[in-house]
Amino acid sequence: MVREVEPSLNEKTFLLQALHQGLRLDGRSPVERRELEAEVNPQDLGVVTVRLGQTKVTASVSCEIVRPFPDRPTEGLLVIASEFGTMASPAFDGQRSDEEVFIARHVDKTLRRSRCIDLEGLCIVAGEKVWSIRVDLHFLDHDGSLLDAACFAAISALTHFRRPDVSVIGEEVTVHSIEERNPVPLGIHHYPICITFAFFELREATLNNTSGGEGGSGGAATAADPTAEVIQQLCVVDPTLLEEQACKGRMSVSINSHHEICAISKAGGMPLDHDLIIECSKHALKMARPLITKAKSFATSATAKKATK
Amino acid sequence: MSRQELLSPEGLRIDGRRANELRRTVCKQSVLGKADGSAYYEQGNTKVLAAVYGPREPRIKSAASFDRATIRVEFNVAPFSTSERRKRNRGDKRILEIASAIKQTFEAAIISTVFPRSQIDIYLHLLQDDGGNAQACINATTLALIDAGIPMTDYICACSAGFIDETPVLDLNQVEEASFETPDLTIAIMPRSGKVTLLQMESRLQVDRLEDTMALASEGCKQIHTIMDEVVRENTQDLVTKYGD
Amino acid sequence: MVKQQVVLPGEVVPMPDASQAKLLRLGPGLLQTDKDIHAVQAGLVTNNPVGNAWWISNSKKRYIPAAGEPVVGTVTGRSAEYYRIDIGSAYPAQLPVLAFEGATKRNRPNLAIGTVVYGYLASASRGMEPEMSCVNAKTGEADGYGELKGGFITKCSISLCQRLLDPRTPILALLAARLPLDVAIGLNGRVWVASKTIRGTILAGNAITNSEFLSPKQCETMVDQLCTTMKL
Repeated sequence: MVREVEPSLNEKTFLLQALHQGLRLDGRSPVERRELEAEVNPQDLGVVTVRLGQTKVTASVSCEIVRPFPDRPTEGLLVIASEFGTMASPAFDGQRSDEEVFIARHVDKTLRRSRCIDLEGLCIVAGEKVWSIRVDLHFLDHDGSLLDAACFAAISALTHFRRPDVSVIGEEVTVHSIEERNPVPLGIHHYPICITFAFFELREATLNNTSGGEGGSGGAATAADPTAEVIQQLCVVDPTLLEEQACKGRMSVSINSHHEICAISKAGGMPLDHDLIIECSKHALKMARPLITKAKSFATSATAKKATK
Repeated sequence: MSRQELLSPEGLRIDGRRANELRRTVCKQSVLGKADGSAYYEQGNTKVLAAVYGPREPRIKSAASFDRATIRVEFNVAPFSTSERRKRNRGDKRILEIASAIKQTFEAAIISTVFPRSQIDIYLHLLQDDGGNAQACINATTLALIDAGIPMTDYICACSAGFIDETPVLDLNQVEEASFETPDLTIAIMPRSGKVTLLQMESRLQVDRLEDTMALASEGCKQIHTIMDEVVRENTQDLVTKYGD
Repeated sequence: MVKQQVVLPGEVVPMPDASQAKLLRLGPGLLQTDKDIHAVQAGLVTNNPVGNAWWISNSKKRYIPAAGEPVVGTVTGRSAEYYRIDIGSAYPAQLPVLAFEGATKRNRPNLAIGTVVYGYLASASRGMEPEMSCVNAKTGEADGYGELKGGFITKCSISLCQRLLDPRTPILALLAARLPLDVAIGLNGRVWVASKTIRGTILAGNAITNSEFLSPKQCETMVDQLCTTMKL
């Protein structure tokens, strides 16, 4: 089992002191998101690679025909599988870590539970054949905000994906290949986007520990002393890996263009006031808008490329 | 999926409750002999048993933290807990998620710096599932930790709330949870400060309705806190009286 | 100065002074077999005429400990006699508790876990954990080694750290002209920077990472741009 080394006290302290002055280590302001770049290959329908700073996630969508669930005979299936490998970070070493479960569940809630795909439209023969859409998420590089990148990659890939056209005549089902008939896009009800926030607690002692303190005992007191006075609670959007390691709590909000929150996950960490949570969700809505437009644009990019083919 | 009327025009839900009514809550402590602390918690028909062991020697030495106790949570869902007998897969993400959420929630409340290099194990067993699993587990854990005498800064009380037909409703049962249109919000607060330690929401909820739903759930938490507090005080008083003579 | 030659693993590297019976020191990336010298890593053949040392320089990130090299490490554990220091290599390094300036059995520094230290590797043999020291063994003085307080650590490639130690690399001089700066360069791919202000430290850290593949002229432009953005 490979151990990921925790950042040093100096790094954590410096991060907090910089945040106190409203500065982040890559020059962003606390409420600024990193630039999100998405790459698509026009030949590969439904495969999107997203880069958020150094974080890199790929989503690929595929489909197959299966039997529907007996209690939902007219609905297709949406399956989301995430692959965490040591490639992304030495912390993901095959044992189901908290981080993996958290991410997998939040993506599931954001996409599947919120019914963003039209599942009824995936029905071929009620009770017998439906389409099962599978989204595979590959985490390639971890520099914080894996969830944001993953959700965006997934919804973009679903928008970009085209499934084969099917015709049903009586009992006979014909699946048309891509050469025969143009593949059909998935019906998408809404576009959920996830925004992650990280929360920090600034204690009096941390601020004074610039270069002073006797030996290392001063450092130990600042990091672990729960009785030191808390003077400020800070929040940043889209944390990097170092910010995630140094933060006291995280919250991820998934929101769509209809002003609906699709999922919120805040597990433990710093206790927050109700007002802060409401403020964060409103802020998430603002940040999500340009991303939603970007995700929707993948639909046209697929058709445009098809026209030139 | 049958569309039952979850909220009748008179304002009654399928189990006869009003929108802002909590289900019947039962709390018991010290129900197990071997565990350092244990508790039994019932919320309506949802029943959870919690056992706490620790602080004790960690099983994996390398996982021990040098300055604080590590907290491990194991959550088991009994196969007979639902109407259809079903054995749950150990790697079921939903189960792992609840366990992981509980671990992180209590890491914030337990004063673990008092026991460096040790481990606190929390075992949860869901005996009957009628919705509100996460909230029942968190409440049961709080009671078990108090019973074990593990220092905590405050109680952690959890409650769920949803939104049916333009009305926020408190404490969802399984039928209400399973409905796709009903947003399901579970919140855990520290009652003295009112601050939120856990917040999980599924399905879709309008942004402006979040505040009301959260407020209702917090109300529910405070009610549960009162009930739990009563039980804990009674038990403690009992012990004190027995030691007295 | 030998012309810059790029080699790939397996290629034979011709040595210019091979005919003369001078002592050749082979560094990382070069292997001697019978009479030929082969490259085992991809990179540039580099040499230092002083001591006739030859090695392959490339842009790798993982550190292989070598004796005598200065390193920046983080304290991850402590036993009675040693501190365990993470220097980014396969094994953590051991730093004897008394290997500090003025340390005696009665009076020794007490480092907390997570502290950053600057030291050099006293020994780094293959089968053992590398041993670090924060005091010059002969003179007993710190020579700049010891605990580093405050500041921030940037991670960069090994070759960038080597170049930073070379006075001909312009980036540090450029930065020093703009702001007061403290720098500790570890050959394990970590550079510790500290300036008087937080902005200064952030600027210095980012400038050093950006400067790896820039020419001196581009470095100047980059530092200017950063200074304007950070308003310094």
